[in-house]
Amino acid sequence: MLVRRSIARSFSTSSATRLYIQNNLNNDQTHPSLQTNPGAKVYDFRSDTVTAPTDEMFEIMKAASRGDDVFQEDRSVKELEEYVANLCGHEAALFCASGTMTNQLGLRTHLSNPPHSVVCDARSHVFLWEAGGIAFHSRASVSPVICRNGIHVTAEEIEGNLIEADIHTAPTRVVSLENTLSGLVMPIDEIRKISELARSRGLAMHLDGARLWNAHMQSGVPMHEYGAQFDSMSLCLSKGVGAPVGSILVGNHGFIDRARHLRKLFGGGWRQVGPLAAVAKHCIEHVVPTMPETHKLAKYLADQLTSLGVQLQVPVHTNMVLIDTTSVGLDVQKDLIPTLLSKNIVIGGQRNKSRIVLHHQVDRKGVDTLIEGVREAIATHQANEPSEPPAQQQAIASAY
Amino acid sequence: MSPVIDNAAREHVYDLTSDTATQPTDEMFDLMKTASRGDDVFTADDDSNDLEAFMANMLGQEAALFCTSGTQSNQIGLRTLLNQPPHSVLCDARAHIFVHECGGLSYHSQASVTPVMPKKGLYLTAEDVEANINKDTLTGAVTRVVALENTLNGTIMPIEEIRRIRAVCDKHGLYLHLDGARLWNASAATGVSMSEYGKLFDSISVCLSKGAGAPIGSIIASTKDRIRHARHLRKLMGGGWRQAGFLAKIARHCIETAVPTMPETHKLATRLANHLQSLGIRLVLPCHTNMLFIDTAPTGLTVEDFAVELKKKNIKITATPGSTISRVVLHYQVTPEVIEQFMDVATSVVKLHGKPVNTTSMETDVKEDNGNSTIEPLTAAYPSGKN
Repeated sequence: MLVRRSIARSFSTSSATRLYIQNNLNNDQTHPSLQTNPGAKVYDFRSDTVTAPTDEMFEIMKAASRGDDVFQEDRSVKELEEYVANLCGHEAALFCASGTMTNQLGLRTHLSNPPHSVVCDARSHVFLWEAGGIAFHSRASVSPVICRNGIHVTAEEIEGNLIEADIHTAPTRVVSLENTLSGLVMPIDEIRKISELARSRGLAMHLDGARLWNAHMQSGVPMHEYGAQFDSMSLCLSKGVGAPVGSILVGNHGFIDRARHLRKLFGGGWRQVGPLAAVAKHCIEHVVPTMPETHKLAKYLADQLTSLGVQLQVPVHTNMVLIDTTSVGLDVQKDLIPTLLSKNIVIGGQRNKSRIVLHHQVDRKGVDTLIEGVREAIATHQANEPSEPPAQQQAIASAY
Repeated sequence: MSPVIDNAAREHVYDLTSDTATQPTDEMFDLMKTASRGDDVFTADDDSNDLEAFMANMLGQEAALFCTSGTQSNQIGLRTLLNQPPHSVLCDARAHIFVHECGGLSYHSQASVTPVMPKKGLYLTAEDVEANINKDTLTGAVTRVVALENTLNGTIMPIEEIRRIRAVCDKHGLYLHLDGARLWNASAATGVSMSEYGKLFDSISVCLSKGAGAPIGSIIASTKDRIRHARHLRKLMGGGWRQAGFLAKIARHCIETAVPTMPETHKLATRLANHLQSLGIRLVLPCHTNMLFIDTAPTGLTVEDFAVELKKKNIKITATPGSTISRVVLHYQVTPEVIEQFMDVATSVVKLHGKPVNTTSMETDVKEDNGNSTIEPLTAAYPSGKN
């Protein structure tokens, strides 16, 4: 059924010079050690993946079952998978080594027949940060959509970027959303609209819900209400939830059976992981409820930084503060990072942009030290440079 | 080693279906607390880095990578050698990388496979390899990698033959990969060091979660450049795990405590093999290390007849309904007492239900070196693709 239709598609005509974030993260194994004061506590604000296991967690691990998960013989893993599936209103779940794995497995299980493509936000992790997984694992093209409001894609934008079957095209098969994205909560109403649209066109709905926990705690929308809009969801356990390793994919029975087979193909068929599953369940039950406090701390941080003249790239909804230091004339690598390192604070970023991520193991003291460091860096910079005219305010509604 | 108690408060079942059944012990969880807690995606975890350096050194290679499974370390290692299709891998037709990795070679590397049945006996020879190299650059998928497996079905490939195959590869400009999931067992049985084996290969996969005893994980070792690529591939395959330090630490602990006990495990396997043979049960393959492939047909019984009685003693073996062939795998958590029980049960089953067998006049079909016996299909020993 190849029908030629002219569809208004919003191509990227933005004048922004860099559409896609490139951290140029280095794969080099000779990783340079950080120049921090040894002995003092280090606060790593680069990501919530750094949540570390506690001694208590190893005790929980000891008490878990020790069966073989390749043969689905482990009680603790089954408990975790049933628990999360129920929470999300789905039939089944699959515990995997990483969010990349659960995302790519979820997408791969939907994408069975090339030519085909995925439509998603241009900033999506599945598109930018999974080593080209969609192309590699699913041989699928990607239609990256730059959202006009800078927060989330809309149903209109998704519809405008759907690709129909045509002799030349890779038709859209999956709509992949991310919530939270850059810490931003996608409103349930918009998700519902997109879900209706997708289902009316016979498209699958996948969610990169690595941080759905944060969205849920912030919005009050129950997990199963999100779950009802998607055919599959990938939920991370090793980020803000605090487990040392793992992520979980939810879907219906047939879907998860196929995903399990693919998991073995990916080399994710691991053995005695009951301890990891037990710890993950514990963290969901104990750490997720602390997220509102983390979100409050992030808001506090954002307020303090803006009062110093630093700007925000996007609003603060949950545990991330994305800053823009143009207005205070700081280069993140040259002016900010060294000052913070001397205070045992680690942040990432380049030029005038940085993403600061909080989690339950970050306390008020760490945040205050970070604020102090930024204050110092600004003062140092102003002392060294003559006063500059205020930076041009650009209305860039697109990516960072 | 004291038996492991399953802390779901059930009676412990001794699982002899595979050495992947090795379970973590209570001491291991205590040890985990002392491990580093850095993020391994950023290569910022000391214990993960230490394990990798330790294994690279042990295998005579420049670098190594800690992966979630043997399938992953094999497929990643092979992928780093397979850069431009059309290309193919030459391996034993029974190889795990070909039969039990979900078609990974085709999927991850778009590679064809030339599966070779060893012409005379247990392992591929240099002649087997040379006779099957594909050089057709017009219509063929040229051979790029020769992949060996040691041990394969518990049997050992002699280092001399590996050297001969290395020479063939060098002559034809081919890479040589080793699926050394159970290389530990080969090394323990022959006295050849891990690095002496390791140095002969361009990439080596060594499993930590089988006989070596760790709950999770496997290692791929190769050159620095290939391991850098492997780390990137690992992320692509979803193996980029975070705070894996505690897994690395106990893997290291297991290498130091479980691996040295392998000679005892091998002795137990031989003891069991000899006893079963004395009852008339036939060995399909020689017992070189920790595995037995048995054929109960001469006794007139099926494997299930034994399995049912063994189960009553909490001993689990692979039993495909109606089949007389099974694979029995030992590891360090299977105690001598368990083997004594196994032998007693087998004796009484044969005595009560089996037909009398004259074992003194029975020819052993098993040749120790490359005699002219044919290798039998062992599919019945792998009912659900257990590895």
